[in-house]
Amino acid sequence: MYTLCILNHETQARIRISLRNGLSLKEEKEGQMQRIRGKSAIAALTASVFMLAGCAGAATEEEDASTSDGSSQEETELANEDPIRVVVFGGIGAEGILANNATTSVTAAKASVEAVNAAGGILGREVVIEVIDDTADPTVAVTRLRELMASDERPQVVMNSGPSTVADAMLPILTEEKVLSFNIGPTPTSGDPAVSPYNFDLSASVPDYLGSFVNEVGARGYENVAILHGSSAYGELFGSQSEEKLVEAGFTVTGNQGYDNAALDMTAQLESLRATNPEVLILDAYGAPLGYVLQGVERLGWDIPIMGNTSVAATGLVTSEPPNGVLGTDQVANLTMQVFKSTKYDASATGVNEAVDRMMAAGDILSSLILAYNYDAMLLMKAAAESVGSLDDVDALAAALLEEPVQKAANTQMISWYRFTADSHTPHVAPEDFLFISPGPLVKGQYQ
Amino acid sequence: MTIILSGLASGAVYALVAIGYNIVFLSQKTFNFAQASLMMLGTFVAFVGVAVYELPWWLVTIAAGILIGLVAAFQEFVGIRTVKEHYNLLVTTLGASIIMEGVAQLIWGGEPRPVPFFLGSDVLDFLGGRVYPVEIALVVVVVLLVVALKQYGQRSMTGIALLGMSEDSEAAQLRGVNVKRFAFAAFVFTGILSGLLGTFIGPKTYAVATLGVALAIKGFVVLAIGGFGSMGGVLVGGLIVGLTEALAARWIGGDFANLSVFFILILILMVKPTGLFARVRERTV
Repeated sequence: MYTLCILNHETQARIRISLRNGLSLKEEKEGQMQRIRGKSAIAALTASVFMLAGCAGAATEEEDASTSDGSSQEETELANEDPIRVVVFGGIGAEGILANNATTSVTAAKASVEAVNAAGGILGREVVIEVIDDTADPTVAVTRLRELMASDERPQVVMNSGPSTVADAMLPILTEEKVLSFNIGPTPTSGDPAVSPYNFDLSASVPDYLGSFVNEVGARGYENVAILHGSSAYGELFGSQSEEKLVEAGFTVTGNQGYDNAALDMTAQLESLRATNPEVLILDAYGAPLGYVLQGVERLGWDIPIMGNTSVAATGLVTSEPPNGVLGTDQVANLTMQVFKSTKYDASATGVNEAVDRMMAAGDILSSLILAYNYDAMLLMKAAAESVGSLDDVDALAAALLEEPVQKAANTQMISWYRFTADSHTPHVAPEDFLFISPGPLVKGQYQ
Repeated sequence: MTIILSGLASGAVYALVAIGYNIVFLSQKTFNFAQASLMMLGTFVAFVGVAVYELPWWLVTIAAGILIGLVAAFQEFVGIRTVKEHYNLLVTTLGASIIMEGVAQLIWGGEPRPVPFFLGSDVLDFLGGRVYPVEIALVVVVVLLVVALKQYGQRSMTGIALLGMSEDSEAAQLRGVNVKRFAFAAFVFTGILSGLLGTFIGPKTYAVATLGVALAIKGFVVLAIGGFGSMGGVLVGGLIVGLTEALAARWIGGDFANLSVFFILILILMVKPTGLFARVRERTV
């Protein structure tokens, strides 16, 4: 009885039951231990299976892009030179649409390297690319980058696949280490040469996108505009800057509403905007929230033209026919979406079509070519290096990238001309580089 | 009226998540943070069955119930009963939700998938507002479910045993209640329920891998407002959260929807820390 008193209540209860069942204390304990061992073994086995799967997914891969084009003498010659190492970070193991976008971005980077190698490499040297899966997590990205910088295999160029939180974390390190970088997740300071002198944003900035919106809204003859945007950093920026730009251009913004990206219903916000009688709705939405917005518009019976930004265009829901999407249904009847010219298939755009072919050979294109900016990265690098005549002086390379002849000589495809300037390392994309199109099926990253 | 109806429908979805939390809480005094992820898997089964293979909805519903029930059974076997320290259950259930989300993404990708509703997808005029048929169905289902569970809990031997377990599991065990078996059965039941509800929740929310994240917190808020362990409280909590979200977004601004919900939560907890309908139990010390 004394022994029983010092055991916990659960064990006491079990012992009482066992005693009632005729088991001795010793037999009960042995039975207990066997059960515990058995369960522990199963749990450990299960955990090991998941860990192995996780480790396999997070591994880096080293790619030799030059071998994808077969063996030519030029490539054999390239292979004999000391290769130029470049790295692309991407959230391949991230959740949701981020993974698809990162995969497309990484594929574009690989294709870029392949394109450059096929053209003789950079200064006669082969380019070798390493892919690092940062799972779109800034902490992982920073850890891997620090390891890379401390290793014997420092890269010449670093590319990323966004999102902006990863870029925000990586760029100070790249600046400190004086490594040239190309970024597709713009942050408030990523294009500021005073803060990130060696970084060049490849993604068009919100002012570029909005310039195109202002152009299009004017061309369509609208005067009163409503805005609906998400709660992400980009969505908030889009919401605030779009109102500024539109008001500056003389339009009336009748309402500007935000929604939580985790919300299931945007009917309330839409109803609030409808009450202001706009002529057009400018929409920022990505993934499931886009579906909820379209449902909300349909629920309200609101016959309003909707101009979606590139986030809308990047959502598979509107580019896939039922059962996988809503393309061709009434929900998208009033929707047009902003895309780059390179994202709309054009049989006469041979450069872009060649880029697509290279990407298909290099990997998967799981989202639109809006995420394929990295294809232009190595083309820009090649042009800058050939202008400078060397890869050793990163300041000279950064300065070369600001020169119009270098930017044009790069023959970039995703954006025709980046227009980097000494004051801003972000693209200055002209409105003519954009189109507003109705949703259509996405084939190899391009709207048909 | 449209706003109120849409708010009620959203609240119904949150309440369904909270019902799952409640059942596990009653049986094991813990929370299954993977509950919303189980529902997410249910929506994907509904998508595959109804949208892709065009099977009868009732067949898909039953199949989803069985499949997700099996997933829940596996989760209980591997991640619940093997854990000795109670507070570690929060970690293992959170881990389970991450695994489920990852698996869903691996199989179906990250894009949202529309799930057709068996009663149609055309907008209806109802009580002066406009609403989808699935939204009416969600509200009806959650009310019926709460009533059914309350009645079952009060009138059936199993239900009474479950309530007894939630009060004092040791005493229940000494009275001959197989606590482990009941806890397992309750856990599996939440999985079956999540699967069965896939054909109702999917048409409202789309089948999307990140659905669990969107529902988990709001479900918890509903439970906190209604009171842990109270089924009736879940209904009221869902109503409060759904309507607050919708009305705040409409009349104050979209940016204030979440703020308003949490403001209401804090207000209620300040007045009634255990939630609106939680039972207060006296304890002799």
